[in-house]
Amino acid sequence: MSDLSAALLFVTGAATGLVGALLGLGGGVFLVPLLTLTMGVPIREAIAASLISVIATASASATVNLRRGLVNMRLGLVLEVATSVGGLLGGLLASRLTHQQLFVTFAVTLASMGVLMAFRSGRRNVIADLDVDPGVLGGRLREGDVTYVYRVRRLPVAMSSSLVAGALSGLLGLGGGIIKVPFLNTFCGIPIRVAAATSTFMIGVTAAASAFLYFSRGDVVLTTTAAVCLGALPGSLLGARLSDRVQARSLKIIMAVVLLVVAARMAFEGR
Amino acid sequence: MSDQSQLDEVIEAVLTGGLAISSALLLAGLLLARPGLLTAGIVLLLMTPVARVVVVTIDLVRRRDWVFAATSAWILGVLLFSLFVAWGLSPKHP
Repeated sequence: MSDLSAALLFVTGAATGLVGALLGLGGGVFLVPLLTLTMGVPIREAIAASLISVIATASASATVNLRRGLVNMRLGLVLEVATSVGGLLGGLLASRLTHQQLFVTFAVTLASMGVLMAFRSGRRNVIADLDVDPGVLGGRLREGDVTYVYRVRRLPVAMSSSLVAGALSGLLGLGGGIIKVPFLNTFCGIPIRVAAATSTFMIGVTAAASAFLYFSRGDVVLTTTAAVCLGALPGSLLGARLSDRVQARSLKIIMAVVLLVVAARMAFEGR
Repeated sequence: MSDQSQLDEVIEAVLTGGLAISSALLLAGLLLARPGLLTAGIVLLLMTPVARVVVVTIDLVRRRDWVFAATSAWILGVLLFSLFVAWGLSPKHP
């Protein structure tokens, strides 16, 4: 590989890591389209590189979120049961799909999530009364000087969406945050920041469950993966730091618009 | 609560350590054009989440929080199963 393309991959990794962490995603949502559409990387290799860089960026963001007290670890553990199984299944299924099918699945996933985000935004999901019991899986969230309580509702919905998120993660090289965060926020009573942080906490494990399979199948191109990962790390750390300053509502709207645009472009490629 | 923040610190150390060593290996591998270092860096990166699950499982067992310990052990089992399948898929280790 030339130094130029390694540098370009590094920059691509940095940019997608930054945006991904800013929006509470792993970054794969933007990395796979950029690698395939603009740099001509075959989709399987892009997915493999994305999965591995997602492990790096999610782990890095998780350290920042842990320090902020945003991660709900018990909830994360319970949902990881579903995401890890999903990741494994997605990783196994990936080898059976053609690259057109992968492009189309990618496009449909992004478009669905974009629509969901656009129409279901603005749920705070917090209770100001501190005497309310958060339950086994709920928790407390500090915003400025105020502490709120939140309770987890509809656990089966959270589990199912985590299973699907895991499967799509293993299949498409995403973190899976793009599926889990809207469901956890919209249907399960979890504040957006907690949903995003807890999702990020789970992503390393989810992605690892399928990344082993990609690695052993020979889809991991060492130099591409290394350059992307090295860029993604500083990018995502910066994104996680900046995410505190972005308003919850504008976060969701930006996400919805970007998703629809990327979905259209990916669908065009898979036609 | 301090138990939790202690665990948070251990997890942070595991994640940061895994990331720091693997990215050093990846950087060295790219600069020196050594595929061996790149492979080592990527494998270490893949094992970092596994190490995190091990740490959490041990902590939960120590606290005798059996329900969550079993939950965490299940996740570890899934990861090990994936490793096992991957080993079988690998052409070098039929």
